[in-house]
Amino acid sequence: MRPASLRVSIGQHSLAGAHAENQDFHGAFVPRGALLASKGIALALADGISTSRVSQQASAMAVRTFLDDYFATSEAWTVRRAANCVLAATNSWLHGQTMAGDGRFDKDRGYVCTFSALILKGRKLHLFHVGDSRIYRLHPQSLEQLSEDHRIALAANESYLARALGTASHIDIDHRSWEAAPGEVYLLATDGAYSQLTATEINQALAQHPDDLDAAAAQLVAQARAAGSDDDATLQILRIDALPDADSPQALLRREHLALPPPLAPRLAFEGFTIIRPLQVSARSHVHLASDDASRQPVVLKTPSVDLRDDPHYLDSFVFEEWVARRVDSPHVIKAWNGERQRRHLYVAMEYIEGQTLAQWMTDHPAPPLAAVRDLIAQAALGLQALHRRDMLHRDLRPQNLMLDRQGTVKLIDLANVHVGGLAESAGQPVAELPPGTLQYMAPECLLGEESSVRSDLFSLAAITYQMLTGQLPYGLASARIRSPQDLKALRYVPLRHHRPDLPAWLDAVLAKALHPNPGKRQEVVSEFAHDLQHPAPEFTRIRRVPLLERDPVRFWKILSGLLGLCVFILLLLRVRGV
Amino acid sequence: MAYLAPAEFVTKMVDAGESKLLMSTRDTLVRAYMAGAILALAAAFAVSVTVNTGNPLIGALLFPVGFCMLYLLGFDLLTGVFTLAPLAVMDKRPGATWNGVLRNWSLVFTGNFAGALTVAVFMAIIFTNGFSEAPNAIGQKIGHIGEGRTVGYAAHGAAGMLTLFVRAVMCNWMVSTGVVAAMMSTSVSGKVMAMWMPILVFFYMGFEHSIVNMYLFPSGLMLGGNFTFMDYMIWNEIPTVLGNLVGGLTFVGATLYSTHYKTAPKRKVA
Repeated sequence: MRPASLRVSIGQHSLAGAHAENQDFHGAFVPRGALLASKGIALALADGISTSRVSQQASAMAVRTFLDDYFATSEAWTVRRAANCVLAATNSWLHGQTMAGDGRFDKDRGYVCTFSALILKGRKLHLFHVGDSRIYRLHPQSLEQLSEDHRIALAANESYLARALGTASHIDIDHRSWEAAPGEVYLLATDGAYSQLTATEINQALAQHPDDLDAAAAQLVAQARAAGSDDDATLQILRIDALPDADSPQALLRREHLALPPPLAPRLAFEGFTIIRPLQVSARSHVHLASDDASRQPVVLKTPSVDLRDDPHYLDSFVFEEWVARRVDSPHVIKAWNGERQRRHLYVAMEYIEGQTLAQWMTDHPAPPLAAVRDLIAQAALGLQALHRRDMLHRDLRPQNLMLDRQGTVKLIDLANVHVGGLAESAGQPVAELPPGTLQYMAPECLLGEESSVRSDLFSLAAITYQMLTGQLPYGLASARIRSPQDLKALRYVPLRHHRPDLPAWLDAVLAKALHPNPGKRQEVVSEFAHDLQHPAPEFTRIRRVPLLERDPVRFWKILSGLLGLCVFILLLLRVRGV
Repeated sequence: MAYLAPAEFVTKMVDAGESKLLMSTRDTLVRAYMAGAILALAAAFAVSVTVNTGNPLIGALLFPVGFCMLYLLGFDLLTGVFTLAPLAVMDKRPGATWNGVLRNWSLVFTGNFAGALTVAVFMAIIFTNGFSEAPNAIGQKIGHIGEGRTVGYAAHGAAGMLTLFVRAVMCNWMVSTGVVAAMMSTSVSGKVMAMWMPILVFFYMGFEHSIVNMYLFPSGLMLGGNFTFMDYMIWNEIPTVLGNLVGGLTFVGATLYSTHYKTAPKRKVA
């Protein structure tokens, strides 16, 4: 059976008010195929302020750019990030126009408009809103207003618009999201339309025109006009006819047509590659070095292990890993093999990185200088940032997953566990039952079942930094054994100088912050951590004198025991002499 | 029924060993307690079958049910962690230390002992009608099983101790082979078949298993066996634990690790 796909009906109508020009603008876009799955459908409407002569340009610009640019953003981005990004750009442009024209003295004459949009992606609806247009959900007896009017009341009959696009260089856009249900009806309306409409009228119009929502919208706008509205009136109706299945994978991650590969062996011809030798064969995956028969380029092939062949999530990750690798372009992240070929088997083809893993480097350099560690970590941080910029989280950072090539470039490999914000929203990303990753490097919040974040990747990177410097893990195995939030309090960060007294004290403060059990107390982003490692902020260098007990506990106890021993000796002496 | 090549199941062994070291204290104790209890119950069951049929082979043939149950439920026996936990240290897994291995062994020992002791008390109640009468036939058999395997060894002095130790080594050679064999298959039926064979061998041959003994001997003390607690400790449990350790580590863990794992090139790309 084919999985159900997203189907909606849309109706819209706009009518100019008493003054000739219609300052409202509206639009909707329902893409087809892969774009529908990755970005969803969007409706947007804007209402230019009536005091301005240019506001119709502002409303047209806002809706047009939103509908064009939202669908051009990366499919890895979440809806919220993509929409906010597009709206921020639109707002900047409008504000620039306002400041360049009459509006710089009087905002009421600038490029200013309200903006409301609905995006339906996967099974979720997202609302974006600024100003006093409204978004409603229709019920049999009532209209439920989902957006908030950004108006400030001065008196009973007097109020003004508190927030709108084009008024300031930065504005806050309201965002809400919720699970949609088939059969639901939503309305977007400007003030000319909504002030005169009731739920009964809307339900009647929908009943009269069940297959032509445009006609229903036109009828409702006409009714509003007849009831006495003289402002521009625009109404958009969205009816959800069918939603995709909750767990149906996206078309781009389908693997039904791919067979499981045979066991690979040297000199075997496989899908246009010739296998050269195994690199690693384990219960997790089989990795072979191969040569592309067409280009003679070396390539790394990863095939499923026998042990996990029955695990559908594991097999999904094989389609997924290349998808991620093709979307990240960074010198510090592994690239997918660049050839295209019709595939018959399930496998991952990646570039071959000649070099060693960071784990091997650590074995070869047991007590490396800070400068060397800093350079490698800064490169790994760049790789992580490249992922984070695309709303992706690596989630399995460990020394085995960082490769150093012959030129000393660090590259992140193994993208099978990457979390992609935009895919997770549309249920397109394989979801494993256990938190993915390696327990020793996993941030404590992930072990407690909370969602991982940029700061969880930061924790893993900081744990690797600590291990490179000292050969130990910052919390030993205690962080891997966490079961409940109470266990977090028992975590004790062991200062670096217990292992390496030669390292500067501020380094401890930087690492302790990045390794804090509470993600809220860590650096905000990976680049901040990498920067702190190179240019410690004053908060890290202003460190109190460390007491002897912490600096050198052994000597402290030796001295104390010596003093106590001396006391005992004196007391004994006094006793013997009979004093 | 898929069969995993050695290269695959040996990484699974090392991964399993690593996960033992990463387990929280509570989980380790609970899982060890349940493993000890289930194995003790299986031992009581096997002795009952032997007494009722008069044929030890039938008891041995059926004893592996307990082992299969506890393995499939994910519980840990001391004999298993003797083999698996050190592999994580040998493979230099991050954070794996001998201290961690000793911690795991002592927790599992404690849990296994507590579990076996619980079943020993429960079964003693059943065999003696709540300590109100003399033990029944099975109770008497269990009561006296321990004598030959404590005082009996002691009678031979150093030679007895050597025999005891070798029997313990042989035991965990077989039992750990069962644990490892279960990893070779990905299906439940395959795992059960793979485990059944070596466990059957060890039980019929009367090899010394530290956890089975944690049930048999305390039961013996409760059911009128003619040996003391110190006899049990010195002339059975402690040498058995050491023999099990040597057997599991040398014949199973270290051999498979060195021949199937260390030879592979150590790198992971993609």
